[in-house]
Amino acid sequence: MATPTNAIFVPKSHPGSYNKDRPAGKLLQSQTLHLREALIQHLQELVTVLAIDPKSLKTEGDVSAYIHRATAILHTHSARPPRK
Amino acid sequence: MSVGLDNLKHIVVLMMENRSFDHMLGGLMKANPKINGLTGNESNPDSQGAIVKVQPNAQFQSQLDPDPDHHFPGVDLQIFGGAAPGPGRKANMMGFVKDYFTQTNDVNRSHNIMSYFTPDKLPVLTTLATQFAVFNGWFSSIPGPTICNRAFAHYGTSFGQVGMDIFYIKDPILSIYERMVQAEHTAKIYYYDQQSSTMEIVNLLKNQPQIFATYSQFIGDCNGGTLPEYSFIEPCYNDHPGPGGGQVLASDQHPDHNVQEGERFIASVYNAIRTNPALWQSTALLVVYDEHGGIYDHVVPPSCTADGYCAEPTNTGTSEAFNFDRLGVRVPAILVSPYIPKGTVVSGPEAAAGGRIFEHACIPGTVTNFFLNGDAKRTVREKNASTFLDLLGDQLRPDSDIPFFNLGGS
Repeated sequence: MATPTNAIFVPKSHPGSYNKDRPAGKLLQSQTLHLREALIQHLQELVTVLAIDPKSLKTEGDVSAYIHRATAILHTHSARPPRK
Repeated sequence: MSVGLDNLKHIVVLMMENRSFDHMLGGLMKANPKINGLTGNESNPDSQGAIVKVQPNAQFQSQLDPDPDHHFPGVDLQIFGGAAPGPGRKANMMGFVKDYFTQTNDVNRSHNIMSYFTPDKLPVLTTLATQFAVFNGWFSSIPGPTICNRAFAHYGTSFGQVGMDIFYIKDPILSIYERMVQAEHTAKIYYYDQQSSTMEIVNLLKNQPQIFATYSQFIGDCNGGTLPEYSFIEPCYNDHPGPGGGQVLASDQHPDHNVQEGERFIASVYNAIRTNPALWQSTALLVVYDEHGGIYDHVVPPSCTADGYCAEPTNTGTSEAFNFDRLGVRVPAILVSPYIPKGTVVSGPEAAAGGRIFEHACIPGTVTNFFLNGDAKRTVREKNASTFLDLLGDQLRPDSDIPFFNLGGS
């Protein structure tokens, strides 16, 4: 593995570099707009699925379609940190 | 097929933000004239008509604030020097200082756009560039900003977009990740953490959450030998509090984020692959920047295969439609593998013969050709894009010949 002759020293960033109060640029503002749009799409899908009365689902085909949509919504939330 | 290609199992792409080739690597030409960098005599006129030469005085932070313009009309000014759109105008790369003046309103500060780093300031990027393969002719896909350029890396097209707007995929062209997964291969996008997240939100994060993981998972996958066949890494895009009250610095190198932190991030990606011997010998790592960020480069972007879309003048912000038939400004790009001979320079448009042109559509193009035998619905642009794995040769370089980055420094 590494030997002294092929190790390249990489300096740390200046301690004063951190600035979470720096005004957000266009890229970060755009990122938040995109996230909001994705959340709205989630919400619309959630509202649509919640509007379905499970008691109205009579066939396995009906039920599987409902399960598919509901699972897809729940699956996308699986990236949340685990509960402590 | 070369030995290096025979042994290749993983392709990793790290896409950084908003720095031009000359700004980051232009200073390397003094030591190696094959690298198409800066002589020191390149210049632009400023808003007063004075000639401003490139200067080796780039700083890690605070020099390019406000953020240089890199949206379509601004880049048009940078490339064409202010000549109005129309037949016959020629690109001259003479509008960078003028364009930055429109943001700074300060003649002296507008000169900062001509700054470049001396190689000693960027030990990681310049070491990789000189130890492996550096591309003289890798260009951003569009003379415009981040989102549309990154789309070319994911889809081989931006579906007609030249800006940052939300877009929805309506064509039967899948992202490279979906192509891989559908063909029972493995692929992931690793974003830094949830506070930084991804730039590929509306189409992929919403609809394909299973292809995403965090950077800590990338480290775990490298250590555990579970890295997917194709990986795309996103740096940290913002400064934010870290776990346990720590501080996480943006590592994307987008102005005005600290360039040194980006150096450390590139080094950590490299080290993660480098420290697993089996992974190191079976991986090609491409480090590339999404676009130039409005910062000076001297090479005129070439024309390219049109991808069948057209952005109307209302979208380009100029008086002219854009047919996606020319590339954006040149960006740094480096391919790393122990099968690449030390000091490889891939010639670009400067070569009288044999020069090669690359852009971000080359990424899904290369991955699709290598893992899927080219079997996917793709744009003409992607099908015609150059691929880069031919740079892997037969000779495995000895470990003693391969650099390792020491990140423990103060």
